[in-house]
Amino acid sequence: MSEAPLVHVVDDDDSLRTALLRLLGAAGYEARGYASAGDFLLQPLPDRPGCLLLDLNMPGGPSGLELQAALRRQGVALPVVFLTGYGDVASSVRALQTGAVDFLSKPVEGETLLKALQRALSRDARARQARAQAAELTARFASLSSRERQVFDRVVMGSLNKLIAFELAISERTVKALRAQVMHKLGAHSVADLGRLAERLRQLAKDG
Amino acid sequence: MSAAAPLNTPRCRGPSWHALRRAWLRPHAALVGLLMLTMVGLPVAAVAKARSVLVLYAFGRLLPANIEFDRAFREAISTTGLPPVSVFDEFLDQPRFANETNARVLARYLRDKYASQPPDIVVVAASEALLFLLQHRTELFPRVPVVHAAVSRSVLDSLASLPADVVGVPIEYDFSGTIEQALRWHPQARRLLIVTGSSTSDRRFEARLRAEAPRFRSRAAVEFLAGLPTDVLLQRLAELPRDSVVFTTGYFEDGDGREFTPRSSAEAMARVASAPIYGPFDTFIGTGVVGGRVPSFADMGRQSAEIVSALLAGVEPGALRLPPVMPNALAVDWRQVRRWRIDENMIPVAARVHFRDPTLLEEHGGIVLAATSVLLLQALLIGWLVFERRRRRLAEQATQKQRFELAHASRLAVVGELSASIAHQINQPLGAILANAEAAELMLESGGDCRDELQRILSDIRQDDLRAGEVIRHLRSLLEKHECERHLFALDAAARDVASLLQAEARRRRIGLEVRLPNTPAWVLGDRVQIQQVMINLILNAMDAVAEATASRRAVVFTLDSDAGSATVTVRDHGHGIPPQDQPRIFDSFFSTKEKGMGLGLAIARSIVETHAGRIWLDPIVGEGAAFCVELPLAVVAEEARAGSP
Repeated sequence: MSEAPLVHVVDDDDSLRTALLRLLGAAGYEARGYASAGDFLLQPLPDRPGCLLLDLNMPGGPSGLELQAALRRQGVALPVVFLTGYGDVASSVRALQTGAVDFLSKPVEGETLLKALQRALSRDARARQARAQAAELTARFASLSSRERQVFDRVVMGSLNKLIAFELAISERTVKALRAQVMHKLGAHSVADLGRLAERLRQLAKDG
Repeated sequence: MSAAAPLNTPRCRGPSWHALRRAWLRPHAALVGLLMLTMVGLPVAAVAKARSVLVLYAFGRLLPANIEFDRAFREAISTTGLPPVSVFDEFLDQPRFANETNARVLARYLRDKYASQPPDIVVVAASEALLFLLQHRTELFPRVPVVHAAVSRSVLDSLASLPADVVGVPIEYDFSGTIEQALRWHPQARRLLIVTGSSTSDRRFEARLRAEAPRFRSRAAVEFLAGLPTDVLLQRLAELPRDSVVFTTGYFEDGDGREFTPRSSAEAMARVASAPIYGPFDTFIGTGVVGGRVPSFADMGRQSAEIVSALLAGVEPGALRLPPVMPNALAVDWRQVRRWRIDENMIPVAARVHFRDPTLLEEHGGIVLAATSVLLLQALLIGWLVFERRRRRLAEQATQKQRFELAHASRLAVVGELSASIAHQINQPLGAILANAEAAELMLESGGDCRDELQRILSDIRQDDLRAGEVIRHLRSLLEKHECERHLFALDAAARDVASLLQAEARRRRIGLEVRLPNTPAWVLGDRVQIQQVMINLILNAMDAVAEATASRRAVVFTLDSDAGSATVTVRDHGHGIPPQDQPRIFDSFFSTKEKGMGLGLAIARSIVETHAGRIWLDPIVGEGAAFCVELPLAVVAEEARAGSP
């Protein structure tokens, strides 16, 4: 998380792209420019916090909206700020519906642009944080032994130790020990915590 | 005849007689003597069968006086009610051939010619003819009655007595009548100058005039300029005060003894005189003399015809009751009337006016009237047509204006349609400018050394500003309302501008716009904006046609080709095409296949193309899509013009 964010600017208009890169640079951001959606897709995307400043209307190749969709399919979760010279309402609605952070009309004032980028970056940061937490949780969950998972599953379903011991044909004391092990591994402090974690894991599994 | 014999040889009377005869008689020209064939001794039946009159003219055939006499004479003869009379003419052609030899030859000729059929009567016109006949009568036409005409009483008086069968009405010069007339026409005249000469006959005239002059003293001061040397006389005449009138008989001899004819002296006077001149002789007409009361040849012809008729009818010459003298008629030279500003209303209708070209109306009244009516009708028709034409032109102008308005409205609509892409084209550079400016601001705030970067920024800002300005310039030329202009312009450059304007629209619609323009300029004469409008219209139509097409077909191809004489713009698409049943109507107004279409685009396009002497047509593509072609004639331009054109 210590890494500085990187802003990706995709616009086919050389002059505008250069100007935007200059502005972002002067505002203290690291920024990288691409002349088309294709250029952007061909570049390896570093795993850094950042966001995408995307021209909605680019000739030839994928449009901004198409690029956004492609990125989502690839699981790239970069927040997108759209820029348009047309001020076209229908496109903007579609862009926002598909999760764009902002939709800005050219010419855009630096303050507006930087605020939008800031929002995008903080969203990215939150997302990255959430992703990191989820990854940690998943890793912790993965570290559970099969016996511990069995105990975990039953605890979060609200089964009592006695019943768990009976079902797994182990002693109630062993159940308690496994339960403490699970709590420790998953970093939970209470049964309620475990329940929340289970819910989260289910969610992750579903999204996964 | 013996008594007349000495008179028959005028030459022996010397030059003065000769001159006198010419001056008096040539003017009258004409007339002549006549011999009358008596019918005495001829059987009545024979007379009734073959009557003829010989008119012997003293002068030439074409003398106006002769012609006038002849016309009146024949006309009168033919209306007498007598059996037809043959009229023969002979001309002595005096004075040119006036000599004894000729006279003898002529006499012999006439005798031989008329030996077999002698005339019943001979008419002699003018004194010379009378004298000739009297001299040769015995050998020529003895006993044939003679009627004389245009012979002055003074000549007759000088001939002592005429044979009884030589009859006629003499003429007499009317001095007083002429003077009276002159004073009537010049009411402001207070001086009457009477010019006479110094020869015997001149002195005779002078004497007569001095006798008549007192009648005019109450009306004007009378002064005689008699027998002056010509130089002195002309000097006097040239300096006459305005209120003068001159009367002259002309003269045969002036104060220095120089010889003249009355006519030539009158001519000399008229040339210099500062006052109008009048005279009693017909010969003076045409010399510059205003006119006078003179004998009329037509009257003489009629009078002679009357006498001839009577004689033919059997009246004895001695039994004829003839007037003592021919009445005189007023003769006037129209040019002099004008010159001396004589009131035209004071010229009697009966006056013989010379040198006035009869007006068209007088001469060909009917034709003139008809022609005038035709001209008038024609003028009215032309006027009406001009009016109609003007009305039509105004209507055409109104139509033209409407067409401009419509074309302009249509351009506005097109630009409206393009507003998004135009906004994009302007917003791109504006966005860049803004971003650059703000970047520069931030850089300056940070305080680092960023001169190089700032320089680049400023340069970019300038570029973008120009880019936006260019878009606006194009746009304005499209939106501007202007009359149809005819300039020489490069069609390829116009097409290039259109392509750049529409690229943004194509991008917005996610349609490929492929542009193929030649590198060589195609010069066209006409309205650049209107032609651009046509191209835009066709391209937008094509874009509409592929709007629903799949990605691979979303393309419009815009090409310009030119050959020797014309340039062709083609806009091709692979869209839905135009159904065959609609194809004939697509250029009609208010025909549209689009939901939102007004159906005016192609109609306006066609009207614009046709005003440029071009044509527009649909070239349906086999399979799918359509191609619209516009052909425009190329202008023939000199290299300099091309160089000078933007």
